[in-house]
Amino acid sequence: MAVFSAARSLLSFACFFLSVITFSSNQNTTSSVLTTGATAEQNFTFIPTDYSTGFGSTSPTPSGPLKPRVPAEPLPVSGFLPIPQTSADRLCPCDELPGVCDMNCCCDRECTEEVVLFTSCSISAVRSGSEQLCSRNAAHYSLRTTIDGYSELQSAFQEEANYDIFCIQSHNSMDGLSLPSPALPYENSFDSLYKQFSIFGFGADSSDEVPFADVQTSPGYQYGDVLETAEPIGLRGRFCLPTPGVTADCVNNNPAVFLQDLSSGCSQRVVLDQDCSSLPALSMNTYTNIQLFAGKNADAVVVPMGVVSVILQSSGDAQTVSDGENLLPVLLGPTLCVNVVLKVVYVIRYNSAGELVNASVSLVLGFVLRAAVMLKQEFQVMYIKDDGGEVAVQFSGNPGYVVGLPIVSGKRTTDRITRSVELGDTMSLLHVSAEDQDCLLGPHQRSPVLFGLDSVSGCTLRLEDVTNCSLVSQLLLEVLRGPDYPLDVASFGNSPLDNPLDWVQIKTTISPTDAQSCSIPLSRHLEIEWTKYGALVNPQAQIVSIKEVIRTNSSSLVLLSGGSSILPIRSSMAFVPVSAAARPGYRATPSINATLPFDFFFPFV
Amino acid sequence: MAFYEVYSHPAEIRYKTSVCTKATLFLVVVLCLSYIAPLLVAYRSQGFWIKRSTYEEQPVVRFQYQTLLVAATSTQGHYVAWSTFPHLNNMLGANLRIPAVSVREEDLNQDGKLDLLIFQLQLPLKPDEQVYSIQLLLTFSYQLFRMSTVVMQSLAFVQHSSPVPGAKLFVSGDLRLQQKTPLPHRGLYNIYNVSVIDGSSPLASSYDLNNIIRSYQERNLTTVLSCPMPVWTVGRAAGSPFELNAEIRYPMEVISYRPGFWETIKFAWIQYVSILLIFLWVFERIQRFVFQNQVLTTVPIPVGKPHLS
Repeated sequence: MAVFSAARSLLSFACFFLSVITFSSNQNTTSSVLTTGATAEQNFTFIPTDYSTGFGSTSPTPSGPLKPRVPAEPLPVSGFLPIPQTSADRLCPCDELPGVCDMNCCCDRECTEEVVLFTSCSISAVRSGSEQLCSRNAAHYSLRTTIDGYSELQSAFQEEANYDIFCIQSHNSMDGLSLPSPALPYENSFDSLYKQFSIFGFGADSSDEVPFADVQTSPGYQYGDVLETAEPIGLRGRFCLPTPGVTADCVNNNPAVFLQDLSSGCSQRVVLDQDCSSLPALSMNTYTNIQLFAGKNADAVVVPMGVVSVILQSSGDAQTVSDGENLLPVLLGPTLCVNVVLKVVYVIRYNSAGELVNASVSLVLGFVLRAAVMLKQEFQVMYIKDDGGEVAVQFSGNPGYVVGLPIVSGKRTTDRITRSVELGDTMSLLHVSAEDQDCLLGPHQRSPVLFGLDSVSGCTLRLEDVTNCSLVSQLLLEVLRGPDYPLDVASFGNSPLDNPLDWVQIKTTISPTDAQSCSIPLSRHLEIEWTKYGALVNPQAQIVSIKEVIRTNSSSLVLLSGGSSILPIRSSMAFVPVSAAARPGYRATPSINATLPFDFFFPFV
Repeated sequence: MAFYEVYSHPAEIRYKTSVCTKATLFLVVVLCLSYIAPLLVAYRSQGFWIKRSTYEEQPVVRFQYQTLLVAATSTQGHYVAWSTFPHLNNMLGANLRIPAVSVREEDLNQDGKLDLLIFQLQLPLKPDEQVYSIQLLLTFSYQLFRMSTVVMQSLAFVQHSSPVPGAKLFVSGDLRLQQKTPLPHRGLYNIYNVSVIDGSSPLASSYDLNNIIRSYQERNLTTVLSCPMPVWTVGRAAGSPFELNAEIRYPMEVISYRPGFWETIKFAWIQYVSILLIFLWVFERIQRFVFQNQVLTTVPIPVGKPHLS
């Protein structure tokens, strides 16, 4: 084995040191001028970067581990590996072109005549073996200019001594300094080698398998299955619902999957003169001429898509219900395309076997007024269990409110509360867009008040519009409160309608109260106080009081606006938690009284 | 003639008392103080129980050859995209643009662990297209072995945009590990060995970068490409492709972990004993003073004197 560094005992260290000293006497040096014997033995391509370590084995019999242990022949393409070269005078990393002289490559044996034209040696020294060896081969190449101006190659081959006291005197371990010989693939070892080396790669993706092959036992769909449609030729297609993908652009062939309610808005790129009548995504036929298969099996019945309503939206968001004749997009001018699909809502009913019973679609059609536009389209699909009932009234929590769901609100009649079925028709806040920033120019967009989210928005009032003070004041209040202002708010997310005691009335305060003859509301602030109710581990949010604070002006509007003649009107919303800090009752786990810190016995208990 | 010390030896004196005396009470108090007080001192001076420790390891990282590229090709929001996911490529339709990609992973120091990923991508462009922004997502397989065995799949995300159309983007950075909580000190930690991008899903929402990044950032253990200086080269020649060159290094990481029971006990024991030695010495002196001077009444019995009772 190798006599290597780090001698463990002092004795061996001393012996080693002596041996190095005797070794480092002057080694034999041979020198010659222009050895240009052409060698044809260099029969393998050399890897230039690895020449110091990679093939630098000094083993006298390097071919031992290369012999196949298995009697089988290696696979034909793999072949045998060449035996690494050892001697420094054979190595030439800059010899890249076989049979041709490489310029300035002094070790290239093909350069017999060209040497006179060399200016320098690109590689001046080639060494074999590792740096850790005590002695190794080295070939030095240099150029000498002759008296007539030509270059002459001088090469010297010598044994170089390493003066490090921890050098390796003799090295007979193959694996110690050189890379292990790569395993050659045989018929029986090919698969394991392939698995070992090709974990990842561009060709190795297994995700292109179509997951349709699994055996389906039930005739209906299951959660996550792609709904299938009947195509004209008898083929099966996919029911698609455009959604945004890697960008906000619509991915029109995104499949809709069973029981995943989806509501998405994406932008469709439209160039009017090309796309108005030809782009399928703009035409309502794309969304209505759909024949869904009721199930996944081959003999499933076809469920046609029924059109429930088509709403035409004109400018200013005015909506009229169409009588249902076929409305295709028509280009009426260079910058006007009418009957463009803006919103699609699918309602799909299914039975308990997972088969589709009924499918219906509602559409909103509008117009595009620009030559090239990113058109916003909204798509929604809802899956409803067909058990005879209508769309269930959605709760905002059961029982406590859930953060992010709308506040449930209604109006009090004599003995009960009435509220809209739509969850969106609830207490709302101003949510103005760029067009309707002016308070008095409606209609304004509104967004529902969501539990737990403090928010602020507003609109602007131009002072020259304030001519009739009481009328403007009334209008502003309507704008701030919304068109159908509810007066009662459910204290829980699922408060029953026939129990008015479970509903909280909105208390309105207008400040300052000692106003003059007429005052303009400048801000409306809703403050909802809520508390945590019930068990500590699962507290439920309960609204205990709701207060509306309307602040009106106490001085003149001109002073308030600071001379800019525009006054911002604010609408805001705040949720105030008023729950008391929880106290552990007798059911709480007994804790060590505060004399010892809680982690005093940390790794034990 | 001067005297000198020839020899010395300590003489032992036993002090005896009965159980119900002040001396017994004193002894109990001294024992409690000398053994419990060091514990309190060690604990109150902080750091008695080690709860977090660190070690250094170079991870075993492999590029998974999963790529997602989005490039904005106009200021109006036109884009081209490409990925190694067939479902996404089908969805992209006309926006699909196939680039030429070459990847090389290198082991620079030949320790068997890869150190560098060289990712080169050439995106061909139509004559009216320019590249204004690039989003590139690469996925990696990331493994740690020294303390707990961590196997996870992670990602690197490159995003760069410029108002000036570019010819090249050069990104050279480190793939750094980010931890929210320390790792356990042993065992297999493979809860994040799931695909960052679900390539088998036909839904467009699976490839939405918002969803991918949101679910990724919820993880305790993530990797992030730390590249403070991306280089955006302008001046693309007509007809030449946009070039994206990335060099991602896999550096040595300092990983924090929660020490195990015996490691915690070991360091606590060192602290306790070192303070205990001082207390033992001090109370030994106090005891000697008290009993030698008979502050508390005891019966001293010198050694060598035969016991008479």
